[in-house]
Amino acid sequence: MKKISILVTIGFALLVGVTSCKKEINDINKTNPNQFSGADASLMLTGAQLANVMLNEGESARTAGIFCGYFKGADRQYLSYSDYSMTAGDFNSGWSTAYINGLAQCRIIRAAAAKSNNKVLMAVSSITEAHLLLTLSGLWGDIPNTQACTDGINEPKYDKMSDVHKYCIDLLDSSMGKASGNVLSVAYAGSFKWDEVANTLKARALLRMKNYAGAAAAAAKGIKKGGDMYANHTTESPGAWNIFYDFLDYNRGGYLGCDGSFIAPMLDTAAKTLAMSRNNSKTTETGRFYNYFYNGKYSYTNLDPNFFDGIFTPTSNYTLVSHAENELILAECNQRLGNSVAALVNLNNVRADLNATYGTYMPYDIADFGPGALIKGATASEAMLKEICCEKYVSLFGQIETYCDVRRSGNIVGITPYKGASLPARFLYPQQEINSNKNTPKGFGLFDALELFK
Amino acid sequence: MKYKYLFIMGLSFGLMIPGQSQNSGSNNDTEDTLNLGEVSVNAIGTLFNVSKSGHSVSSVAGKKLVSSGESGVIQALSGKASNVSITKNSGDPGSGAFIQIRGQNTISGSNQPLIIIDGIAMSNSSFGQGTDGVVQQSRLNDLNPSDIASITVLKGAAAAAIWGTAPANGVIVITTKKGSKSGMNIEFSSTLSFDMVNKEYEKQGIYGQGNAGKWVANAPGSWGDKISNRRGGLDSLRTTANKFVADDGSVYYPILAKRDQTVFNKTNRDQVFRTGQTWINNISISSGNARSNMYFSASDWNQKGVLNGTSDYHRTTGRLNFNHMLNDKLSLSMRSFLSKSTSNRIQQGSNLDGLYLGYLRTAPDFDNTDYSGTYYNAVGVATFNSHRGYRRYLGDIQPSYNNPGWTLNKQTNTSDVTRVTVTPEIKYQWKPNSLFTVRTGYDVSTDHRITYFPVLSGGSQANGSFTDDFIQETVLNFHAINQSNFENLLGNNGINLHTTLGYIYTKRSLMEIGGTASQFIIKNQDRFAFINATSTNQNPFNSNQLLLTNQVYGMLDLDIKDKYFLQVSSASEASSTYANRFLTTGASLAYEFTKDIGQSEFLNNGKLRFSAGQIGVAPPAYIWNTNYVGAGSSSGWGETLDGTQFGGTYARSSVQGNPDIRPEQKTEFELGTDLKMLKNKLSLGITYYTNEITGIVLAVDVAPSSGYSSQWKNAASMTNKGVEIDMNLNLVATKDLNLNLYGNLSSNKNNVTDLSGTNSVFLAGFTGTSSRVVKDHAMGVFWGGMYEKNEGKLVLDANGFPQAAVEEGVSGDPNAKYRASIGMNGNYKELTFNMLFETSQGNQMWGGTSGVLNYFGISPETATEVTLSQADADKVVDYSGKKVSALGVKDASGNYTVRGSLKDFGKGDVLLNQAWYQSLGGGFGPVNEDFINDASWVRLRELSLSYKLPRSICDLFHIPSASVGFTGRNLLLWTPFKGVDPELNLTGVSNGRGLDYFTNPGTKSYMFNIKFNL
Repeated sequence: MKKISILVTIGFALLVGVTSCKKEINDINKTNPNQFSGADASLMLTGAQLANVMLNEGESARTAGIFCGYFKGADRQYLSYSDYSMTAGDFNSGWSTAYINGLAQCRIIRAAAAKSNNKVLMAVSSITEAHLLLTLSGLWGDIPNTQACTDGINEPKYDKMSDVHKYCIDLLDSSMGKASGNVLSVAYAGSFKWDEVANTLKARALLRMKNYAGAAAAAAKGIKKGGDMYANHTTESPGAWNIFYDFLDYNRGGYLGCDGSFIAPMLDTAAKTLAMSRNNSKTTETGRFYNYFYNGKYSYTNLDPNFFDGIFTPTSNYTLVSHAENELILAECNQRLGNSVAALVNLNNVRADLNATYGTYMPYDIADFGPGALIKGATASEAMLKEICCEKYVSLFGQIETYCDVRRSGNIVGITPYKGASLPARFLYPQQEINSNKNTPKGFGLFDALELFK
Repeated sequence: MKYKYLFIMGLSFGLMIPGQSQNSGSNNDTEDTLNLGEVSVNAIGTLFNVSKSGHSVSSVAGKKLVSSGESGVIQALSGKASNVSITKNSGDPGSGAFIQIRGQNTISGSNQPLIIIDGIAMSNSSFGQGTDGVVQQSRLNDLNPSDIASITVLKGAAAAAIWGTAPANGVIVITTKKGSKSGMNIEFSSTLSFDMVNKEYEKQGIYGQGNAGKWVANAPGSWGDKISNRRGGLDSLRTTANKFVADDGSVYYPILAKRDQTVFNKTNRDQVFRTGQTWINNISISSGNARSNMYFSASDWNQKGVLNGTSDYHRTTGRLNFNHMLNDKLSLSMRSFLSKSTSNRIQQGSNLDGLYLGYLRTAPDFDNTDYSGTYYNAVGVATFNSHRGYRRYLGDIQPSYNNPGWTLNKQTNTSDVTRVTVTPEIKYQWKPNSLFTVRTGYDVSTDHRITYFPVLSGGSQANGSFTDDFIQETVLNFHAINQSNFENLLGNNGINLHTTLGYIYTKRSLMEIGGTASQFIIKNQDRFAFINATSTNQNPFNSNQLLLTNQVYGMLDLDIKDKYFLQVSSASEASSTYANRFLTTGASLAYEFTKDIGQSEFLNNGKLRFSAGQIGVAPPAYIWNTNYVGAGSSSGWGETLDGTQFGGTYARSSVQGNPDIRPEQKTEFELGTDLKMLKNKLSLGITYYTNEITGIVLAVDVAPSSGYSSQWKNAASMTNKGVEIDMNLNLVATKDLNLNLYGNLSSNKNNVTDLSGTNSVFLAGFTGTSSRVVKDHAMGVFWGGMYEKNEGKLVLDANGFPQAAVEEGVSGDPNAKYRASIGMNGNYKELTFNMLFETSQGNQMWGGTSGVLNYFGISPETATEVTLSQADADKVVDYSGKKVSALGVKDASGNYTVRGSLKDFGKGDVLLNQAWYQSLGGGFGPVNEDFINDASWVRLRELSLSYKLPRSICDLFHIPSASVGFTGRNLLLWTPFKGVDPELNLTGVSNGRGLDYFTNPGTKSYMFNIKFNL
């Protein structure tokens, strides 16, 4: 009997032990040993900026580049992209990166910065946020903004494209004068100034809204020579290097080429006789051609975007916002406001920079534009407007903003679609968003124009 | 809820009080030879009488596992139990398998059953298999099938309720052998196996490498010239400039004009495959007396796989099972097992360094034989260890895809597994009718994996990479049981009660640590060392996980007049992954109705059974909080921005945590009958079941604009229902001849009834095609791009071709409508045989490989020709709108011949050629529905013969007995699915099913066996 009672006691002890230690058992699940419970807002900024870089330099830039004639799909899935045969699933990546890794983090940072009264952090994260939203809205038009990235709202409503642009302008205005120089910019490179970047972004927004006077005023305070903002790719390592390089050579060699693209013959001296050629008695595009394109031992296609010794090498910093863009915004606004003389000055400023980098870009005179002149057009001002747009199209090679310009301007550049009669007018709402947000606008196809680009 | 605890506590008290009966408790243990079908082993590791069970039970004797010739215990179960489907990950030696019992039961958790070995929960993990990389083993592969006395499959919820949230996917109860109770028996067996690939892709041999009908060096596709139209003879070469000198001295020069008409499909095929060989040796010693017995075994499995080169699997195991009765009341036992396996695996899947990708895409006119050598540039500068493949025939830089020879011989993917399990146990007969058992199980396994790509490997591995990964998993299990027997409970009325009270504590921990090095500094020496990379290119990683659960349970077995058998069980579980205790219950009733209606010639014995159970599935660890993780961004093609490269930066996780998460709840009802008919010649078991799983824990996809990609929720519900039929018919039973026909049939219908408003949940696969969970469909359905349709009819473009729809949808179902197997076994004198056919019907599979081989112009259907008259040639266009008259070659009679085939989508004939296959009609296009194909199969799973040698021969060698045997595994396969055995799955044991994308092939085996006793 003694043994029995011992066993019974043990049995009970076990029972009691078991039922009472529930809390202790749960404690081990409270902290994930492989992740953190929180992070200081200043530690989150670089991550948000990297998302902005990925949005502007990653899949969305390649797709926009195909849509506006910079690139042509050369292999596998990318061949269908060039036929404009795309589904909602093809647009997931840029969108989700922008919202989840970008906008959500920006808003957490901004709230934390406001709490600690850190005005610099607040300003820099605001500029990053506006940059993200402007790119998103430029591609998709109406997008979630006011209700986006708010805990408790799983299905944010969509804001009108024009309202998103106004929001961005307010955000940029609120950041002016707060962050000196280019502080807090690990993900970016270049000796840019935040205020200038904010102004050029604001000019971008106003130009899209066709507010030329406003855009010109903002651009006047925009990026000066030598003040370009780049994505930072100074480390030659996967995970840090140029994203175009990564795609073109490291991960997906041969998917994307420039053979058959619209832009290549514009620069190619071998295609000088074509009407579209930019080579003329004052211009030799050879240097720029070889910076943009590559055909050599390591080629995948007959003409690759130059990942070997040009614009997209592993350590090439990728241009996000530039003096050239700012100057050409000014040029376009001045021209559209009827001030051809000022517009020509802006254009020649850009050409002077090109002359220093690539070779021959002699300044144009007013007399170079018009019927029968060097730059032909129905009228002198039409010819100059087209030249400004073409110069911007070529100067901003690979950047998403030109795809916005092309649609806003009604394709002044005259890009020929790869298939059918029109260029795609928008990105499709991504499948991931359609799946889980009932507010996603329905019934839009690839060729339905966005609000501001009608 | 509270009364349930009272019930448990009350039960506990009741069970602890010893009764008066003088009959002993169930102290009998599993014997070496179980009379299966009569007794089986239950979820707590004790014997029970199947004829008194209210749930359906499937048992397989150990010797049947060995005769199947599979290295893994689970793979050997294939076809042997109804509604247990086993899917091998690939034919790679030692590859793991996916086990599914009665359909899928959870979405984000594991759908693998609980494995109980000798009464203790053991690991059946498989780690790390996605759409690329190598096929991994499962920890069940570590066991030696020869050690197993029996396997019992408990399918229903009621049978396993005492294990709380662990058994939702069924339980596989494995019992290892015990020593014999008298004398000594030494058995030795040796088996030699020859393995072959059981299904291959066909490749066209008509058109050469190139594009648009022209030969182009290094081109990805085989859309070049017609090989037979070439001039013939040797290619025109430039021998004065650069060259590639292969390791065997062969020299390759730049080709100026392609003239050679040789097709190398056979050569390239023979470079990849060989006859695999396996040599298996096993020795066991069984000995004992009335008080003690022991079983010892040692085995060695040494396999060279069917893929040429380094593919192998070598497993050595040892086991010692020991039992000793100290006195009439106290006995001890110790079971210990050691397994050591090493293997070298071959890269597969969506992987530029994978085997099939490079092999199958190779153009027919390219010879892959020389893959490694030295490249000399135009001025004679050498690059050693250069890699030559069809995408870089001179090896001047690394090819886009590996030459298969490189994949097989130059890359290293080793796995080195050590597994130790020990199970000590004490039994104490503390009252004549009460037995107390305490058992502990400790199961520790380590897996050391090396992945190595030398410099100049294909794709993104041009500069080499190395990963060293160490995984350690431990499962500690403590199990205390009290069992009491009360006979003639209320006087002498034939009511017997058996009570069980138990406590189980389980601690599972998982640790992974490792690192990668890439962009090697020293490029020409293979070293598995991080120091061959700069510090920015060295990346360490680690992770830890700990899970604790405990259950207090009680079980009552009531036997009323040997006619009604009632079992009620209940467990209260606490787990580290959810907040409150969780209660599971099970009840079953069996009624032997022939005791009432009487036996007849036709019906000898009949039983009706009913059971109901409610069990759970515990949520995963660490999902309560929204955490902060290293920030970075990627965009789906491999390109990433890694925050650690930018000074370190953090972001709120894209997955939103949920502190209110509860266990998933599975409720199941089961109704069945077991019949013995025709003088006990026919036994038949029929079971119908239906279950519902609610509150399925899921990281539900949310709109990215919410700031999250997903949120943890008790979000989904699904149902399974099905029928299982098992039968055995004794056809002949004479002294010399014995013949049995046996088989089973099962079907399961799964339906996802609720997904909390989410459209679909990704399980596995690719952006274009994935296996998903979609509401109102069975779990795992295929999802992808569709053709645009209007009321079921294709919407055609101006040229008469279909178009891609803007949104994706469900395009197929990988789940079988039914599965069945039928076999015959028996013996004639000393000759024993077994033959087993198995089938799966109605399951579809995504032929990702076929789609891509269309794209590359490799599949035979892309290599046809059509000839059209001038009028037709001016009318028929290809996908790009070009007329046949502009594409084809005009002959003397004015007809045009062009590569391609005609198809009428609804607006008249169009030409399917390169333009079509490289866009919508190929595997890289946005539409996948063309490649979702019927993957039903019928196979001869097993054919075995064994002959017991006559006494006279044995005497010659002074041995008591010996036998020789032959086993054929997977010898015949019939399936409409092209190119690969549809039983495989690219993503291994993941819950996403039915994907084929350059998966390493399946195998068949011919095995010869000799066995003798000493």
